[in-house]
Amino acid sequence: MITIKNIRKTYQSGDIEVQALQDISLTIKPGEFTAIVGPSGSGKTTLLNIIGGLDSPTKGSVKINETDITQLPENELIDFRLHHIGFIFQSYNLIPVLTAKENVEFLMLLQKKNEQARNERTLKLLKAVGLEDQIHKRPNEMSGGQQQRVAVARALASKPSFILADEPTANLDSKSSENLLNIMQRLNREEKTTFIFSTHDQRVIDKANRIITIEDGKIISDTSQ
Amino acid sequence: MIIKIAFKNIWRNSLRSWTVIIAITLGIFGGLAVISTATGLSKMRQNNAIETYISHLQIHDTNFLQFSRINDTIPQKAELISYLNSSKLVNGLSKRIKTESFIQSAGGTSGVILNGISPDNEKNVTRIYQKLNHGNYFQKHKRKPPIILSQILSTKLNAKINTTVQCSFVNSYGESVVCVFKVIDIFQTNNSLYDEVNAFVKMEDLKAYAKLKGIHEIAVKLEDESNVETFRNELISKFPNHQIDSWRGIAPELGYADKMMNLILIIFLIIIMLALAFGIINTMLMAVLERKKELGMLLSIGMNKKKVFGMIIWESVFLALLSGPLGLLCSYIAITTFAKKGIDLSFAASGLRSVGIESTIYPYVENRFYYIISILVILTAILSSLYPAIKALKLNPSETLRTAN
Ligand SMILES: Nc1ncnc2c1ncn2[C@@H]1O[C@H](COP(=O)(O)OP(=O)(O)OP(=O)(O)O)[C@@H](O)[C@H]1O
Ligand SMILES: [Mg+2]
Repeated sequence: MITIKNIRKTYQSGDIEVQALQDISLTIKPGEFTAIVGPSGSGKTTLLNIIGGLDSPTKGSVKINETDITQLPENELIDFRLHHIGFIFQSYNLIPVLTAKENVEFLMLLQKKNEQARNERTLKLLKAVGLEDQIHKRPNEMSGGQQQRVAVARALASKPSFILADEPTANLDSKSSENLLNIMQRLNREEKTTFIFSTHDQRVIDKANRIITIEDGKIISDTSQ
Repeated sequence: MIIKIAFKNIWRNSLRSWTVIIAITLGIFGGLAVISTATGLSKMRQNNAIETYISHLQIHDTNFLQFSRINDTIPQKAELISYLNSSKLVNGLSKRIKTESFIQSAGGTSGVILNGISPDNEKNVTRIYQKLNHGNYFQKHKRKPPIILSQILSTKLNAKINTTVQCSFVNSYGESVVCVFKVIDIFQTNNSLYDEVNAFVKMEDLKAYAKLKGIHEIAVKLEDESNVETFRNELISKFPNHQIDSWRGIAPELGYADKMMNLILIIFLIIIMLALAFGIINTMLMAVLERKKELGMLLSIGMNKKKVFGMIIWESVFLALLSGPLGLLCSYIAITTFAKKGIDLSFAASGLRSVGIESTIYPYVENRFYYIISILVILTAILSSLYPAIKALKLNPSETLRTAN
């Protein structure tokens, strides 16, 4: 359960104040598959970063389960992210010197999971994203779509409460995008993991079961389908 | 895993890593090359001085060096000599009598110390006999008592071989004596200060002229230079009423030169380490800035700052660990090779000889310097990666993710 209350984010760029988010309140329940949409500059990335604890709001609180992450000191916040939040970025998701398997395993190592648990989960997830025959490949030996699928597996590996994906398909062609979304959708059901992703892509939006539209830092519609 | 990633990271830009590795290797090599050549030089100067004229230890009466009085002879001569002869550490010894004297020839006058020696014993202790123009170490002479002058004194007095010189000094009864010697050979060491004031005559001749029973000086050559101080202490405790000096006490200027050399070495090493540090700081900083996005991603997904910091330090440590042995190996091979063959400096030989350096240098380095240099280099590498690593910690994940590349 994510509870966002009265979030404001003001960026100071030179003399000008940019109101990236204005008074946003929002609740996201476990198991949701939610898209955040809006034009460029509307505040999607800012919102996701604040939910993920990568950025702090100027005002307001972000409660994840019972923890207000805006109150956590930096080191605890990093640790919180490790255990509770999965991230999929647009690019630069993977550690270039590690193989697909090692990349997926990485967070579990940081979580100090034992080797057997790590191996089992890594192989299961790589299979789930359809990369069981690519486990020893490094990121630069894989296509963009394959890399994003590894990123999905990596985000799930740490068993987070929810996964944040900021335009995960922005660099992919439409076929890979659809494929990635299908995988995310399936894992959302199978693993019962909450997904929150931002996108511009109408076909991606269509897959979501809740669509939150923001404009100029304000929620203008919130529909479930 | 962090260590593994760090190790793999250094090969992402292998050209850059090799640049650092070679820089560190050259740093170690340069450091050891300078140290070994300098040490080789000063050892050579020392050995030259010790072997040619100083010897390892000298024994005198406690007053002799201060007042140079002819009657300040060694008190327990017989016991000392039998003790020295029976010691396994001793390689050779020479008894000497010494008088300060005026020397006069047709060409001039000068002061000189007459060293009365027994050539056969003296050969066991010093190498003056190898420094003679004609190799006549009192083997061939006529009726007149022979004297060997230095080149410097010979020139000053215009006293060539076969000329006669006159010496005057005070004998053990306090009477002035004048005696006549014939120059039979000329010597030259590479210490002009020594040459200027020393001349050699036969012990029995000087003894007779000076009406002297005892001796003034015993010069001792040991089997092994490293035993000098222990043996000196042994002698001091056995013969407390004697003045017993090691070569360091006799020729302190040799030690001063070493101290000076050490200071220069330290400055040199600091310069090498500084160059190294800047090289590493620059390289690691580039490595960090180039990877901003990746480091931001790692911080975002939950790799804590300690681990990110550690990863960057490990990268430097690996670079240092790769280059350390390489540098040591190169240095070791070069130093041992040249320690046998010597570095030929004959092109500059005449200039060097005048300051007590022969034309071939044998580099020498104490083993501990291999450790010291390695530790210094690795420490430098780690310290210089601190700044880039701290820089990495200051990265703001959301900022780095936003900026394109
Ligand atoms: N560091 C910053 N300093 C100043 N202004 C910023 C900063 N980051 C974002 N902004 C501004 O905040 C607003 C929201 O930006 P944000 O990146 O959240 O939009 P977005 O919806 O993700 O856009 P896009 O679809 O282009 O990714 C924009 O007007 C942007 O210019
Ligand atoms: Mg964005």
